[in-house]
Amino acid sequence: MSYVYSSSPHIKSPRTTRSIMIDVCIALLPACLAGVILMFTANAAFPMLGALSLMHLVICCVTSVAAEWVFLLCCKKPFKQILAEFDFSSLVTGLLIGMNLYPTSKWYVGILASIFAVVVVKMLFGGTGKNLVNPAIAGRVFAFIAFGAAFGGAMSYVNPNTNSPMVFTSPISGGKVEGFDASGAVTGATPLQVLMGSAGTGATNTLSNLDLFLGTGVAGCIGETCKLALIVGGIYLVVRGVLNFRWPLVYIATTGVVSVLIAWISGCYNSEGVFIPELMGTKFAQAWEVFLPSILSGGLILGAIFMATDYVTTPNTKVGNYVYFVFLGILTAVLRKAVKGEAVSFAILLGNLVVPLIDMYIRRKPFGYVKPQKQRKAKPADEAVVAKEGD
Amino acid sequence: MKTFKGGFHVPDHKDLTASAAIEQMPLVTDYYVSLSQHIGKPAQPVVNVGDQVVEGQLIAQASSAISANVHSPVCGDVVEVVKRKNAQGVLVDTIHIRSNGRQDRQTLPALTDPTPQQIVERVAEAGIVGMGGAGFPTAVKLQPKDPVDSLVINAAECEPYLNCDNRLLLERTEQFLQGVRLLAKAIGVSNVYIGIEENKQQAYEKLLQQPHVIADTKEALASKQQDDIVVVQLKAKYPQGAEKTLIKACLNREVPVGGLPAAVGCIVDNVGTAYAVYDAVVNGVPLYKRLMTVSGGGINDPKNLEVAVGTPISAIVELCGGLKEDTVKLVSGGPMMGFSLMNTDVATTKTDSGFLALTDKEASSVLPTPCINCGRCASVCPMRLMPMYIDFYTTVGDTENAVKYGALNCFECGTCAYVCPAKRPIVQSVRLTKIKAKEKK
Ligand code: SF4
Ligand code: SF4
Repeated sequence: MSYVYSSSPHIKSPRTTRSIMIDVCIALLPACLAGVILMFTANAAFPMLGALSLMHLVICCVTSVAAEWVFLLCCKKPFKQILAEFDFSSLVTGLLIGMNLYPTSKWYVGILASIFAVVVVKMLFGGTGKNLVNPAIAGRVFAFIAFGAAFGGAMSYVNPNTNSPMVFTSPISGGKVEGFDASGAVTGATPLQVLMGSAGTGATNTLSNLDLFLGTGVAGCIGETCKLALIVGGIYLVVRGVLNFRWPLVYIATTGVVSVLIAWISGCYNSEGVFIPELMGTKFAQAWEVFLPSILSGGLILGAIFMATDYVTTPNTKVGNYVYFVFLGILTAVLRKAVKGEAVSFAILLGNLVVPLIDMYIRRKPFGYVKPQKQRKAKPADEAVVAKEGD
Repeated sequence: MKTFKGGFHVPDHKDLTASAAIEQMPLVTDYYVSLSQHIGKPAQPVVNVGDQVVEGQLIAQASSAISANVHSPVCGDVVEVVKRKNAQGVLVDTIHIRSNGRQDRQTLPALTDPTPQQIVERVAEAGIVGMGGAGFPTAVKLQPKDPVDSLVINAAECEPYLNCDNRLLLERTEQFLQGVRLLAKAIGVSNVYIGIEENKQQAYEKLLQQPHVIADTKEALASKQQDDIVVVQLKAKYPQGAEKTLIKACLNREVPVGGLPAAVGCIVDNVGTAYAVYDAVVNGVPLYKRLMTVSGGGINDPKNLEVAVGTPISAIVELCGGLKEDTVKLVSGGPMMGFSLMNTDVATTKTDSGFLALTDKEASSVLPTPCINCGRCASVCPMRLMPMYIDFYTTVGDTENAVKYGALNCFECGTCAYVCPAKRPIVQSVRLTKIKAKEKK
């Protein structure tokens, strides 16, 4: 009889990468379900939207997993081994991409976005754990830039000079959005665009905060509308020890506060663009009305709970994470003001790219750390910034 | 409840032997007494092949300042001095003694009211070493270079499965406390703390019932007398019983990187060591026996045993009803920091706190996958290192960077590798880096 011979420790926790990914999939299910149901009931005239949503989710999941397997097969990995090592991370990517599509997106958008996300963003960089940016975010941004109109949704665009109502043109590809009519609640401007005044005069915000929270009557991506379901999923992850509740909160709160500040400052300008200091007092109170809508709108909650917190693309220290999530929050609020669309995705994408930098400069202070004596000439490289890890 | 930052609550599996009273290991025929049961130089044999020795007789002498005496665990004949594999898999000089069945015993003269100097000398004579696992010669520890104001007794026993310290506290409370007082006297300190994890409630209460033992509460501390011992209840969290984390929890002092506990005015000794000091001073018995927990899902009849040093593990396994079919791993020591054994053909030493036979269900054999950067390892590391980088740089062969991320400060507690969802062999990486860094120097 021979026994296993290895280095300590000899017992390990039951948690595995696979079990974490399965938990994430489970946590995403309520939002998927809610999204599909909402789309079924959104517009009595088009119950098809629900079926389309479901189709997108399935297509994306299947393509993502298949893309990973085919890639590995091309690398000459035996299929048995691929199955044995399958960690469900590509399924998470697939689900997320599906949730980030609009019901009106063309069917091939999901396929191409999934392949791009899994093969280019993840596998080419070395597979699970090696990707620089979150594959799902990269997939969404890819779809947005590459397909514009076919991607659907947030393509409404306002000509600031003529202030003409709702021109359905993509800001990037210039293509026309086909599909549902301009008055249709579903494909119209997302509430965020109404909020940010980018939807033109044709649409006004008639949604209450409760609507935004439940996703009833809200236009948007399949998975991002029902905040309740997303939060339920988030709580599940927190309970299962997969997610630290602190980070989504930091991100969301920062976005809310910065949005309020922006609304406050911009509210103090009169129509001629002159800053009126007397307005500051009254506008400050008013600006807080933006707080709830700004955090409940758009893909913020989806992004904050499920995409910005991806382990692979977040810093490794507590301080680093604070920096990262506050940075994301500010970036999101500013981008929303400046670009009026896709703010969350671009913010996360940009944030992901900054992570290696954060990790390089913010290190932990080890237990019993003694300040190095000043020996400037000896080895300046060794004196990298050592941040105080929250004791 | 006091504790340190980081760490992880590892399921302790202590119930297997928590209420098993200490049993004596019966005499066996062959004993293999290693000459390197401690940190430092191997002891120098003072007996020859063919000599007759009696239980407690000195058979090998400390060969330098950092070394320890070794005594015969049994009455018998020296068969040979051979190189044998120890639990770590290293070949070490070993004296093979065959018992002759007699029970003669040689002891040192008992000391009544010894001076500190006498205690230290006796500790050295009796070959006492740190019994928590490292095996640092205790006599050397008792003469620190830095000024010391506190003695901390490590009764945390944070390793899962192990119960020998727990049983000792329960069954030999008075002797143990006497040993603690002797240690305190030897160092000349009056601040004595016993750190014990909350999962040993019974032992904690038993300790508090003894005279001049007080709890770690404000009221009790206010009326603390000169020779009162403070029992500090600690959170059950691995690695609570590591020197540095124990000091942090009991005294809130941080041992500097690369420093010894004495650098912050502390000396840490283990429960078993305190008892051995008692035995050596009061009864004149040198250290050739110790308590061991034999446990794990693969052992038919888990026990707490008092075992003579040099007893073959195979004999112990036999006494405990043999191994179950589904045993996949043998471990000498605790499951977190112990050593994996190839077979049971290994003899016990002064530092063996346990022997475990783990089943497939207990000893996870999931293969490592790529790191997903989840940060769990860093969040549990009691040394506040970033194990993922140490592992990464070691894997790619970059020793310099691995050292930069603190590989040399790691004391290999294994908490990081325990929690890692990707099952990265982080401790193995750390060891590799340590070896490579040494080679470079
Ligand atoms: S716990 Fe494992 S997977 Fe997570 S960061 Fe550390 S090494 Fe990587
Ligand atoms: S890096 Fe070392 S000290 Fe830190 S948890 Fe891992 S084994 Fe323990």
